[in-house]
Amino acid sequence: MDFFTAQDQARRNTGRLVLFFSLAVLFLVVMTNLLVMMFFGYYHSLHGSAAGPATFDWQLFCIIGLGVVAVVASGSLYKIAALSSGGDAVALMLGGEPIFADGGDPDQRKVINVVEEMAIAAGIPVPQVYLLKESGINAFAAGFSSSDAVIGVTSGAVRHLNREQLQGVIAHEFSHILNGDMRLNIRLIGILHGILLLGLIGYRILSGTSRTSGARKGFGPLLLMGLGLVIIGYAGTFFGKLIKAAVSRQREFLADAAAVQFTRNPDGIGGALLRIGASPDGSLLKNPHCAEISHAFFGQGVEVFFESLFATHPPLAARIKRILPGWDGIFPSGPNVSSVKDYPDPVSEEAAGGAGLGLTGAAMVARVGQTSEADLGYARILLNGIPEVLVKAARDPFAARALICFLLLDSDTEVRGRQLQYLKSSADRGVHAETLKLLREGGALRPEQRLPLVDLALPTLRRLTEPQYRLFLNNLDTLIEADGRISLFEWCLRRIVLHHLHKVFGRPAGRGPANGDLAQVAGACVVLLSLLAHAGNSQTGGAMAAFAAARQELGLEIELAPADRVGLPELDRALVDLERLAPQLKARLLTACGACVTADGVIAPIEAELLRAVSASLDCPMPPLAI
Amino acid sequence: MAIAILVLLLVVGGFGLYLIGVFNTLVKLRNRYKNGFAQIEVQLKRRYDLIPNLVETAKAYIKHERETLEAVIAARNSAVQGLSAAAADPGNAAAMQKLSGAEGNLVGALGRLNVVMEAYPDLKANQNMMQVSEELTSTENRVAFARQAFNDQVMEYNTYKQSFPPVVLAGAFGHGTDATLLEFADSAAMQSAPKVAF
Repeated sequence: MDFFTAQDQARRNTGRLVLFFSLAVLFLVVMTNLLVMMFFGYYHSLHGSAAGPATFDWQLFCIIGLGVVAVVASGSLYKIAALSSGGDAVALMLGGEPIFADGGDPDQRKVINVVEEMAIAAGIPVPQVYLLKESGINAFAAGFSSSDAVIGVTSGAVRHLNREQLQGVIAHEFSHILNGDMRLNIRLIGILHGILLLGLIGYRILSGTSRTSGARKGFGPLLLMGLGLVIIGYAGTFFGKLIKAAVSRQREFLADAAAVQFTRNPDGIGGALLRIGASPDGSLLKNPHCAEISHAFFGQGVEVFFESLFATHPPLAARIKRILPGWDGIFPSGPNVSSVKDYPDPVSEEAAGGAGLGLTGAAMVARVGQTSEADLGYARILLNGIPEVLVKAARDPFAARALICFLLLDSDTEVRGRQLQYLKSSADRGVHAETLKLLREGGALRPEQRLPLVDLALPTLRRLTEPQYRLFLNNLDTLIEADGRISLFEWCLRRIVLHHLHKVFGRPAGRGPANGDLAQVAGACVVLLSLLAHAGNSQTGGAMAAFAAARQELGLEIELAPADRVGLPELDRALVDLERLAPQLKARLLTACGACVTADGVIAPIEAELLRAVSASLDCPMPPLAI
Repeated sequence: MAIAILVLLLVVGGFGLYLIGVFNTLVKLRNRYKNGFAQIEVQLKRRYDLIPNLVETAKAYIKHERETLEAVIAARNSAVQGLSAAAADPGNAAAMQKLSGAEGNLVGALGRLNVVMEAYPDLKANQNMMQVSEELTSTENRVAFARQAFNDQVMEYNTYKQSFPPVVLAGAFGHGTDATLLEFADSAAMQSAPKVAF
């Protein structure tokens, strides 16, 4: 399933979620009413009042209904608010500890290397990795978007899986990130919390009354009420599990398929599933909070009795059979042997494939939200080629700021001198010295290595405090303006950094309804395509040809705007409008951009970077183009 | 009658959820600054580990200024103690002040050492000395960075805790005292030291 269809599907699933949720609340209202009527019946019979036929009191029904809705709503809203700060909140809720590449454990470093490689191959910022202290083999991905995504792995997984199996599991999690499943997951947790709240209250009442000497008359009804609420709570849980299963089960097969597609290696994810089957703890998790998010894990995290109805994941054997059709049904117990070494040999440039040469616009768009073995190989080459000192800087919040400043240093010595002088006087203490150090030891950086370095640095920059972040942004802006103009690369860098960090530091704006009409944003399309056309073609003839190719893909009646009328501020404004397009329209727009860029048969580095920045701003991650 | 009970239950319930929210936020913000202190600890430890190296290298050249060198080591040792006391309870006023004072002493002692080293050009040109000095400067920058982050997080905690309505609840929830910022005396004296000007 391609990225844009998957995004559409995720939105539709949200609709189904709301439907099921409403049904569940209705059911809860009815059951609570029954309970209350029984309660009053008991009360009346106890006090011997004339118990006539129970008349159905609409007023009471409405009030109780409102009461139930209010409880469920407040529970859901509370939980969604608690998780609103993004993936990190979910990971911390599960008791996860962030792990970093400069920690001492080689197994942990292996996990981080796998995650970094895959993120660069997919064109998204590297997610922060969290460790869960569980012996089961499992992993999860959480967050609202790729900007605040986190990946969690259990210590069981770190210890028992080799590199190719880890890669398979991480690829499965990445497909969740790339398909937009995670936002749905967070909403799911919030909603379920509300439904379960009634049962939790009942449980508390029950445990409260049972502790006191229970036989006193006055507590009888209260005990009954507690018991009743617990029963209702089970009804809520029933619906909750049904909802989870309905929404999440099919996705797991799809994610497995995507993992195989990304890595072109069924033994990776297949091997991981086999390990889970062979291991005594399987993929089970002990932390009770994990049950709330069981649908977002790689493997089945909680025991279920009626596996078919309530399981959030398909049965293990079924999953393995789909991936490894020749499986003989036996789980191999024994040391973990893999066909791939733990630290694979560097891939040669030829072997990685020329991803990017000879691509049409449509083929480029087909790569959005996906990655492939060739991309992974290319990512590994890129990573290995970047000077070690710069990679280390990207992983440390203090030096990451200097790294971005370093990337913005101009090649013109006079401008560079001014930029460095500015850093010395106004930047945070130490940034100037660190930038000089990177300049000295960084060596020559190839153009295609610059944006992947930014991908590496983004999760580190997320760790800045808000005042530090504001100062950092100020420095960025001043550095860019040092030569009195904004170059295209500077704009791309600033755009990507701001787009991702703003989601973490700013108040994330809720996604409004998607815009289904391309004609409404025609002006914005003109700006974007004209700028792309002019950027890649120094003469107007070439620009017109490129624009014509784009217009054909887009299907709108638009004209190329002259170069001096489409500047970067206009593009910034245009992207705000274009961000809200429906997924299928974004696909069309990106195809048009791709056609524009490939019209002259040559993809210049700046065109590739522009395309990267634009697709990142539209939340359509694109793998790096090998040029 | 039933209506009144229900409404009361709802109000109490909603209020209860709000209380839970405030409690959880207080805990989250406090944990955040405690973790922030751990970053300072890492960098300060690095700094304290570099100092014996500095003193050993200097000893070979500076034969007559024993007290200056010993003062540096003594200040460094008491700073190490101040650090472990502070790490046990970050944000505690007494611990923060003690660490701050110990750091101030250390900076003063190092400053005096630098003044002495001025008179030994051979020492200044020594490779090892240059390397250690550069690492010291870099570590100090990182200490400043980590300290700034810690103070930001302490401010966030204190501001939330003092705002209304959490201010009413904070005491009851076990968040009675404000956390203290970590202020170091401005080590501009260190910056102007000849280490980097080699």
